Order: sequence, then C-alpha cells, then structure tokens
Amino acid sequence: MRLGRISKAVGVAAAAAIALSACAGNSGGTTPSTAAAASKQGGSATVVEVNAFNTFNPNTADGNTDINSKVSYATHSGFFYIDNKLNVVRNEKFGKMEKVSDDPLTVKYTINDGVKWSDGTPVTAADLVLQWAAFSGYYNDANAEAKTGTSYFSYAGDPTGIALTDFPELGDDGRTMTLKYSKPFADWEIALGGPGIDIPAHVLAKKAGLADTKAFIDLLKGMPRGDAKAPKPVNTQLKAMADMWNTGFDTKTLPADPNLYLSNGPFIVKSLNQDQSLTMVKNKDYNWGPEAQLDEITVRYIGEAPAQVQALKNGEADIIAPQASADTVEQLKALESQGVSVDVGNQLAYDHIDLNYSGPFADKNVREAFMKAVPRADIVDKIVKKLDPKAAPLDSQLFVPDQAPYADSVKNNGSSAYQGVDIEGAKKLLNGATPEVRIMYNKDNPNRVDAYSLISESATKAGFKIVDGGLGKSDWGKALGDGTYDATIFGWTNSGVGVSGVPQIFKSGNDSNFNKFSDPAADKLMDELIVTTDKSKQDELIQQIDKMIWDSAYGLPLFQSVGVDAYSDRITGVKYMPNQTGVWWNFWEWAQK
Amino acid sequence: MVTYIFRRLVTAALILLGASYFVYLLTAASGDPLEQFRANPTPQKQQLMDARTELLQLDTPAPLRYFKWFGGAVQCLVPFANSCDLGKNIAGQPITDALGAALVQTLTLVTGATVLAILIGITLGIITALRQYSTLDYGVTFMAFLFFSLPIFWVAVLLKEFGAIGFNNFLRNPEVPLSASLGIGVVAGALTAVAAGGPLKRRLLAGAVAFAFVTAVLIYFSATEWFKKPGLGPVLIAIAGAGIAFAVTLLSAGLKNRKALQSALIAVGVGVVLYFLLQPLLNEATFLMIVLLAVAFVLIGLAIGYLMGGYDRGQSMRAAAITSFLVGFLILLDRFMQAWPTYFNNSRVRGRPIATIGASTPNIQGDFWVLGLDSFTHLILPTLALILISLASYTRFTRASMLEIMNMDYIRTARAKGLSERTVVMRHAFRNALIPIATIVAFDIGALIGGAVITETVFSVRGMGFLFLDGIEHVDPNPVMGVFICVAITAMVFNLIADLAYSALDPRVRVKA
Repeated sequence: MRLGRISKAVGVAAAAAIALSACAGNSGGTTPSTAAAASKQGGSATVVEVNAFNTFNPNTADGNTDINSKVSYATHSGFFYIDNKLNVVRNEKFGKMEKVSDDPLTVKYTINDGVKWSDGTPVTAADLVLQWAAFSGYYNDANAEAKTGTSYFSYAGDPTGIALTDFPELGDDGRTMTLKYSKPFADWEIALGGPGIDIPAHVLAKKAGLADTKAFIDLLKGMPRGDAKAPKPVNTQLKAMADMWNTGFDTKTLPADPNLYLSNGPFIVKSLNQDQSLTMVKNKDYNWGPEAQLDEITVRYIGEAPAQVQALKNGEADIIAPQASADTVEQLKALESQGVSVDVGNQLAYDHIDLNYSGPFADKNVREAFMKAVPRADIVDKIVKKLDPKAAPLDSQLFVPDQAPYADSVKNNGSSAYQGVDIEGAKKLLNGATPEVRIMYNKDNPNRVDAYSLISESATKAGFKIVDGGLGKSDWGKALGDGTYDATIFGWTNSGVGVSGVPQIFKSGNDSNFNKFSDPAADKLMDELIVTTDKSKQDELIQQIDKMIWDSAYGLPLFQSVGVDAYSDRITGVKYMPNQTGVWWNFWEWAQK
Repeated sequence: MVTYIFRRLVTAALILLGASYFVYLLTAASGDPLEQFRANPTPQKQQLMDARTELLQLDTPAPLRYFKWFGGAVQCLVPFANSCDLGKNIAGQPITDALGAALVQTLTLVTGATVLAILIGITLGIITALRQYSTLDYGVTFMAFLFFSLPIFWVAVLLKEFGAIGFNNFLRNPEVPLSASLGIGVVAGALTAVAAGGPLKRRLLAGAVAFAFVTAVLIYFSATEWFKKPGLGPVLIAIAGAGIAFAVTLLSAGLKNRKALQSALIAVGVGVVLYFLLQPLLNEATFLMIVLLAVAFVLIGLAIGYLMGGYDRGQSMRAAAITSFLVGFLILLDRFMQAWPTYFNNSRVRGRPIATIGASTPNIQGDFWVLGLDSFTHLILPTLALILISLASYTRFTRASMLEIMNMDYIRTARAKGLSERTVVMRHAFRNALIPIATIVAFDIGALIGGAVITETVFSVRGMGFLFLDGIEHVDPNPVMGVFICVAITAMVFNLIADLAYSALDPRVRVKA
C-alpha cells in the first residue's frame, strides 16, 4: 500500500517532467554557447536618430523625413553624392552622367555593367525612367479646381526642372538614358540619378501585372504628357504602380516580401523593430562605389537630447547628433575626457530679419537706418556663442560660409557697412523722424525672442518706436507676408547645393517673397541664373544678386543655426556635415577601432 | 444591480462622446499643422502643404471633421467586423496599429512598476501603522514624501547617471574597497538599528548583526568577483529558504503551529533537491515552462501540507505552498544569475548591461535567460523611478486605513477574547484595511494605460505617452484621439469596477439600483 503510493508519486513526477521538457525551447544551445554570435571583423556602430523610420520610399510627400532619407542613402547608390563642403561628388564606379550638349541641354546617364539590386536584377535605365516619371510629374493631368484628371506620383521634391524634359531616349543595352531639356536648367546635375536610385522598376512593373521592365518602358513610352486642361482617363497600370510608389513602401516592420526593401548600395536593411531600432548589414555584392568599413549599422530612435547624451555615455550609442543647445553642448564637452569627440558646426538654416518694402520702410533711408541699428554681434554673442565660440554673424543672403564663394561674396556685397551698431549713423539717416515699426516673430521660440529684444532695445535708441508684434507658435507662420507687420524675424534654410531656391525668395511676386522685394535687374539675373548650367558662372551671378539685395537694404541675415554631433572612441571617420544628411554623408568611412 | 451597471454604462458612453468631441476640438486648435512648411523657400511648398492638408483633411473645419473621425471610430463597436478605423497618423500608419504597438510598450513599462509599488507600499503602510510614531514610521513617511515631491524627470536622469552609467563603470572592475564595504555596512547597521523595534539593547544588537553581515557579504563579493559571476547556489538557497519558511509560517499560521512550520521546511528541502534535478530542464526554458513550473511548485507545497495533515491542514498547506513558491523563485533567480556572465560578455552588450533607453538591446540573440536578463536590465531603471514616485500614496493610504481599523471595537474584542496579535493583525485588521485600498488600486490600473508620459520620454520608450505627444506636436488629432479613447474607456471601466468591488467587499455598502 505504502509502496503503491510512492510509485504513483514517482509516476506522476516522471509524467510531469516529460510534459515540461516537451514545452522546452528549440533553441537547443544552453546559455554558455551563444557568446560568439557576431563576428568582430568590420565591426558595428549604433547611430541615434530622433525620428522613427516609416517608409522605404523617402521621396513621397508623407515619407520625406530625415530618417527615411538617411536609411535610403545608406542602402542605395547613384551617380553622385554631396560632400560636407557642399560639393557634388560624382560616383564614376556606379555610372557616368555627362552633359552631351549645352543647347539644347542634353544629359546622358550610363549605368555601369554589374550594378545590381540585392535580388540580382541589374540596375537599368528602367529604374532611371521610373525615377524620371515620378520626379517630373510628366503624366499628371490633375486639375485641382475642376477635380478632373489624375495625379500619379506624389513626389515631395521640386518637379519644375525635370518637367522641362520629354520622354528620355534609351540605349539598346538598357543601361543608358538621355534626357533633353527644352531649356537649360541650372540644377541638372542634382536633378536625377542620385544620391540614390531607390525604387526598383521591376518590382513595380510586376505589381502592375507587367511582364518585365521592357513592358514597363513600353507602357510609359506610349503615354503622352499629361495635360490638366484635357485630362485622359486613368491609366490603371500606371496608377497601380504610382499607388505602390506612394504608399506601398510604407512600413514600420520588416516586410515579408524582400522586394520591398531591395538595396543597390553599401548596406541592406536586415531588421526593423517598430519605433525602436533599425539594423543594416553590408551588401555583399556592392562594389560600385566607396566601400563601407563597418559590417553593421544600427539606428536607434531617441527623441530627447539629454537621453541621447546619456546613451552615448553609457555606450548604448556610438554616434549621436542631438538638437544643439547650450546644455547639450556643455554635457558633450564634459564627455571629451572619456574619449568622446564633439563636432560643433553651422547648419544651413539661418535666422534673419526682413524689412517690408512698404509702410514706414518704403523709404530706403529708413530701412538703412534700421539695419544700422541691428546689433548683430550682440545677437550672435547672446544666442550662438555659448554653443559655438567661433560663431560670427552671417554676412550673405545667398551663401553660407561652408560654400567656397561665401568669402568672395562677403567682400563685395556691402555687408561690411553693417558690422557694428551705428546709432549715430541711423539717427542721421532718420533725420529726426520716429517711425513706428511692428516686428513680427515667433514668440514661442526663445532665440527669436532674444533677437527681438536686442533689436528693439537698440532701434529704440536710434529713434524707432518698436511695437512688439510677436505671435504664438501656431499663428506666426500664417502671418508671413500678410502685411500686418513691418519687419519680421524668422528662419530660412539654404539648400546648400543647387540654385532653384534663390528666385523663390527674392524674385518679384514669388510665393516666398514675403517682404515684396523687387528689383528688375535682380529679376533678370535670376532668370539667367536658373538657366545657367555652369557652376562658376552660377556663383558669379549669385554674387551679383547678393550685392543687389544688400544694396537695396533688404534686411539682415543674423546667424546660422548650430549643429552638433558626437561620437565615442570606438568609432572613427565621422565628419560634421551642415545639411540634412548630417553625419551620414560619409557613412562608408565610419570604422570601428 | 444590473440596472445600476446599465445606468453607469450609459452615462459613461455619453461622457465619452462629449469628452471626445471636446478633446478633438482642442487638439485641432492647438497649433498650425502647416507650420513646418511656412518658412520653406522651395518651389514645391504649396504642393507639400496641399498634401498635408489632404492627409489631415484640413479643408473640413474641425467641428465637422470630428464626425468623419467618429464615423470610423464607431465601427470599432461592431464586434468581429474588423472594420475599426481610427484614421492614420502623419506617417500614414493606421492608428489602430500604432496603438497596438504603443500599448505593448507602455504595459511592459508600467505593469511591473505598479504591482511592485502596490506590494511594497501596502507592506510599508502596515508596518508603519503597527509602529505608529516610531523612528521607522517617521523615516518611511519622510522618504515617501521626499520621493513623492521629486520631479520624475530629474529622478530618472539621476538614476540613469548612477544606476546605469555609474554601475556599469563599476562592473568593469567590480572591487568594493574595504572602506566602502565598512561604510555601507555602517549605514545598513544604522538603518537596521533604527528600524528594529524594542529596547535599545535589542536595537543595537540588530544593528551590529546587520553591520557585520553586510560588510562580510560585500568583502566576500568583492574578493570572489561575485558581481561578474553572481549566483546563489544550493547552500544559499537552503539557508534563505529556511528563513522564508519561518517568516511565511510566522505570518500565515504562527510559529506555534509546528505542523505548518515542518511542512514549510520540508518544502524547502524538496526545493533544494529539485534545484539539482531541474538544472538540465531549465537550460531549455521557455516562458510557458516557467509558468508551469511555478504552478508545479505551488502544487508540491500543497501536497506536502496535505500529507503532513495535523489539526489544521489548510494552514500547513498554505504555509508550504507559499514557501515552495518562493523557493522556486529563488531557483529561478539563481538560473538568471548563472546566465549573467554570458549576457555580460555578449557582443551586443559589451560589458555595460544596465541600459538607459529602450526596451531591449537591438538584435540581441540568446536563449530565454539572456533575453530575460536583457528585458530586466532595460526595465529596472524606469520601474525603479515609477515605484519611488508612486510609493507615497500607497504607503500613506494603507497606513491611514490600517490605523483606523486598529482602533475599531472589534479589534479590541478580538484581543479581549485572547487571540494572538498575529491573528488580530493579519486576519481581523489587515483584511478590512484592504477594502478602501482595493478601490485605489482599481483607479490606478485605469490610469496605468495612460502611461507615464515623462518616464517614457526620458527612457525613450515609444508608448502611449509618445503617441500622444507626437500627435500634439504635429497638430494631428488622430493619434491623440486614439490614446484618449483607450485611456478614457479603461478609466471608466475601472471606476465602475472599483465601485462594484467596494460593495462586494464591504457588506455595509450596497449598490442601490
């Protein structure tokens, strides 16, 4: 009886043990064997970004956030990239982009043999044609008012340049494409084919039920240019492709279909952890461009600058580029003793004060008097010096110091007259008048508030009556150009490369010309500028325009925003970059020590 | 009762409707959704603004746009139709997906913290109530209010600085210098002396013992590099198990119940034997297996208690089951510690285990134990921060409630009829003191889903709070409404549950229909 009870208990225990081992994991290995998971060769780096990745197509209106573009940049290649001196650098290993003729402007793109997507399909002219179709808006015939027609690709960039071209000529070997512009276009060099050819045409073609890329090219070739006045019925195949282009690549998790994240660049995305991290590994096939040193790059998303700094300090991050503030820079400098390197530099965004060419400022003398009273050096001291001790006022409306022609332009543009505050000179120009000036700015931005109070204090001394026209975060943007103020302090972003942005701000009657600056001579130069394809000629024209703007007492550029990046002593090769690409611009040079 | 619940639900629905309309309007009016494009000098500015206008349907005024949103949201009420549509966020992701991911993040972050805060808070509350106006009472009160009044972002940043960065630096060469060992020992001894009750002699003795013990342990740890290769081992489990057996018996049955004490001690013995038997099985652990093992340990405890018999079987079974469960927990802890060196030397962790951000190390690979440790090292700091902040309310509430109960007539009666102090406290006072706390806990669980916005931000966890802030920043009502709906519904449901629980627990309160 006693024995029976014990044997029963043993039986039950044995059954339980079997049941438990049945639910054991299949990982097999016990704990001590997983140490050698990742190889050391090549190494890895963790980069911190503020925003979370959400699409493999960074060209759409909804997808063109910095992080999507950076990931696309690391996983795709093209005919050129932009370096941290804001030069366009050609990648001849990928292919050749050459200007065949100046009149009419003709550009020939040749992709090298052997350049291929990560599924083995070669990168061909079809991929370029797709990019051309998306960027040019060639087939769009939508009319917003009449609500007719179709808008196919929802492209975030500026279509005006490429829209000057007709359907490209394609070579027989499928690797060349020739674009003919109906009139010269200044920014032809950066219009197409780089920094990455990111969407594979063969994937889209398959999606639309087309047999191959040849059928895709035939389809596009057969369609005429879209005309909003005479809309055609929707082409369902193109629409299917455009829809996929617009939203089909949106994802926060790694798609089950690898066709949605094909790479033709140094890296390929390996894993995506929603809102947490993204990991890229080296693309083994890639040999058509600068070779990457690292085997793996992990991107983690951290919103707060202090959290980024602490993550760097704790070794969870290797490279960070937080929003620059005095505190952040100070915290980072304190880490230099542990081997952290900190780069502080200018960004392409800059603050400026613009004077309306109307109201009290209709008179040029008044504008000039006001400009003489703006304490630019004090503003830089108070706002930017604590971040960047080398900071100086920005002296050009069109160049930034990172661009080579800046120094030349500054010498001649007349900015030297506004280096210091000249209250007496201002008083003389005003000649006893006390004009009332309403200054509009974003009063929720502390830098703008500081700039306003310094300007207001100094201008009052010169005899101006300053009215505080500061508006809240949600209102100031809408007020731009509405005539309710006489001067405004806000920020523009210099494009760094390309000249299409210049007329947007300074040409008579343009959308972003908020203060109604108008100079027929400058307008003429700008018209010439956007059809000038030669870089040195462009710089010369811009210098002339810069001078005209200064001569007409337009207002003053104040200072550039400060950017900061920092990286741990594990990593080498990180270099500061003023534009939106940030530290990523030379990711192939990053290496682990 | 049914009428009451029905009436509450109808009111809740109406409140939800009104509040959601209000929140929608406020979010839509909170800023300029096109601000980021206003100072954009590129020619495609208008296009980008048009695209954003279309995405957010800005051409419909907000008071009407709400009803478009409502039309989609109301479909969530249709069961199994899968037609729930809460709109999309700026990145084009459906809010339902975003909410799903955020909810998981938030719940991982706050669940552990809330449970621990409740357990610790109630324990401290009871102890301080029983020792009212003692040094311990004042000390706990002081600490609770101190932590309560600290801003969490500051506590969190300090925790990261010392708990993560400092501790990781320490782990590089985990030697505790003798002076530090002595210092920590003195502090521990002093705290013990203060906390221990009774005459001065007893306090001093307790303090001295604590001092000697802590200092010795630290020296031992330092000498054996325990922090690099931690572990408990069967001997320590046996000793700690015996302590647990006494403590559990003391609380659940009283040490006079010899049968219960024997059951608990037998359970410890069985646990130590199982420690050896289970090691090979634990090497291939899964979460399910751990749960089943926990159940098995409880069952073993119950069986031991049952077999011991005695005049009060139930008490023996309870004592043995709790002890067995806790010993099982020690074995689990020991196994995690065995995995520590592997985790520590993992190429992704690189010898800096305690994390300051996120919920896991990206791309970490390993077995159940390594992954478990990874979650643990990521959760420990935010959990600690949340516990420190929320401890105060539980401690104070329990203390007050317990003090009130201890002065009740029926407590005096219980004492008068000769019941032991343990029975009076544990059975007559504690249970009744829990009634008001039950309602507080229900409220807190409702608030839990709303997340800890600041904690999430500081520790870079993309949960509900992040979704909410991101929506506000882009003046995009959809994510804000998604979070609002989740939080509002849980809050209302748990309010109802709190009311019902009160009436169920306290016979003096009745729900009137």
